[in-house]
Amino acid sequence: MFFHIVLERNMQLHPRHFGRDLRDKIVSKLMKDVEGTCSGRHGFIVAITGIESVGKGLIRDGTGFVTFPVKYQCVVFRPFKGEVVEAVVTMVNKMGFFAEAGPVQIFVSNHLIPDDMEFQSGDMPNYTTSDGSVKIQKDSEVRLKIIGTRVDATEIFCIGTIKDDFLGVISDPGATS
Amino acid sequence: MSLAADSPVHSSSSDDFAALLDAELDIISDASADIQEVAEEEENIDVEEGDYDLKFDRAKRRKVEPYENVADLPSSSSQGSSPNKDECQHPGVYAGMCMKCGIKMDDESGVAFGYIHKNLRLANDEISRLREKDLKKLLHHKKLYLVLDLDHTLLNSTRLVDLTVEEGHLIDQRGALPDTLKRDLFRLGSMQMMTKLRPFVHTFLKSASSMFEMYIYTMGERPYALEMAKLLDPGDVYFNSRIIAQGDCTQRHQKGLDIVLGQESAVLILDDTEAVWKKHKDNLILMERYHFFASSSKHFGFNCKSLSELRSDESESDGALATVLRVLLRIHSLFFDPGRDDNLLDRDVRQALRTVREEVLMGCKVVFSRVFPTNFQAEQHHLWKIAMQLGATCSMELDSSVTHVISLDAGTDKSRWAVQEKKFLVHPRWIEASNYLWKRQPEENFPVASTVALLDYSLK
Ligand SMILES: [Zn+2]
Repeated sequence: MFFHIVLERNMQLHPRHFGRDLRDKIVSKLMKDVEGTCSGRHGFIVAITGIESVGKGLIRDGTGFVTFPVKYQCVVFRPFKGEVVEAVVTMVNKMGFFAEAGPVQIFVSNHLIPDDMEFQSGDMPNYTTSDGSVKIQKDSEVRLKIIGTRVDATEIFCIGTIKDDFLGVISDPGATS
Repeated sequence: MSLAADSPVHSSSSDDFAALLDAELDIISDASADIQEVAEEEENIDVEEGDYDLKFDRAKRRKVEPYENVADLPSSSSQGSSPNKDECQHPGVYAGMCMKCGIKMDDESGVAFGYIHKNLRLANDEISRLREKDLKKLLHHKKLYLVLDLDHTLLNSTRLVDLTVEEGHLIDQRGALPDTLKRDLFRLGSMQMMTKLRPFVHTFLKSASSMFEMYIYTMGERPYALEMAKLLDPGDVYFNSRIIAQGDCTQRHQKGLDIVLGQESAVLILDDTEAVWKKHKDNLILMERYHFFASSSKHFGFNCKSLSELRSDESESDGALATVLRVLLRIHSLFFDPGRDDNLLDRDVRQALRTVREEVLMGCKVVFSRVFPTNFQAEQHHLWKIAMQLGATCSMELDSSVTHVISLDAGTDKSRWAVQEKKFLVHPRWIEASNYLWKRQPEENFPVASTVALLDYSLK
């Protein structure tokens, strides 16, 4: 799920940046530092959309560095247990398949793939229904439900399932027609 | 955490977010039949975020408790299916979560399958289950497993800095190289390396892939393994994610089949190094080492010119890979022999390998003369063992049933007896050659000199 929220961060700046474009320096450093990172609480910071305020700087004793409290608006992405997301399959093997939804890496184990879908090895490993009508392979788009999440410093991992109504393949890249 | 914990601004914005989350979670809980699941999720947030401020924490506790109470009520357990009813055995862990029920699990039990995903571990029961399931399917497709080593088995690599002057033409005169060499010789700039694929490897992989599900298993590092896989399998049709490198092994300096998702009774291994397969010698087909580059043969103590320096190469049609492919075909057809009446699942490819190997010197009875050091226990010598594996009978005594005398010196009593009785008198290399070539070699190619001048023959 995406959220637009306000976060705050203390930015430490080297004195050489102090000048007319100090604010720009703070903003560009902020973008570099936080975009693409994760926190367990907020999820993945997709993009900074605006600066609310830059507070008064505090000079650090001895170093000359100055700390500015910056409030910024940003879009974050955080998956939730029970949430249904759409993802692209990246790898299929005997244990299940891996899929990605933006920065989130999702594993759907063979326990959570419907029983009528069988693993087929070969040059393009896939899970296929016995009648061959539904096939999940690399690059397939699938709709899955998240049943577990874990957020690390830079990555978000999820356990997903397609063993439920209305879950499974949305598009099949192998389909010829 | 880089966020300033004591900042009043921070906690208020975080509360906004927390309120938002609570609102969202409420929506989910309304939609979900399983209320307890939501409560669990909230607890999880609690656990992973130790730096939550107290206010948020307390607010959340207030929320969690009533949920738990609700979950305990008999009325709520009647709604939908509860995960507690059919308890999860936690078959594996992905990024610290059970891959079946999603709960947080941080134990380090089971086996890591780092080559599939750096965060994946499987419980032993699950591995057995997957192996059993997979074997049935594979046998149904008339396939077995084949584990392939890279260096000296399928290819040979050298660092660019180790190229000799005589190998310079591989770089300077690339355009003038023969087409087959050009096709199989790769300069990997990023790794400062040069790799030569073994002759026949393309045909080998193509044919073997119809009989086996194949793995790459190397003591090299992962980036190297992936790079080599690209050269061997540019279409990504043979190996997929079945590429195992050094860091994936569960035991130092050993290769194990514990991380191969194949039943040991259905796995064959091709490798030039026996010592790394201590636990799986019965699955191993030992390969003659492929040395193309000078640095490689030097590393193994050979002082002759390398194939690259001689501008030569192993034979395409009669080299090690062509030979071993014939052996694999033979083992495969023996294993799947429709004339057999035992159950496919009960068959063992190691037995088939043993049988095919025993056909090589079947019917030979050999006696060794001055091959083993004095007082050496003959049965422990590797030549004795190889001869036995190849189906020969080994004997200490001379009698009319003996067919071969293996000797380093034509002047010994036994050697002279062989000549007198019109038995074959052969050099020990006859056994080694027959072993590598999987075929009884013409005896006349392995004569024994009449003096003890063959000191260059080093006993292993
Ligand atoms: Zn579980």
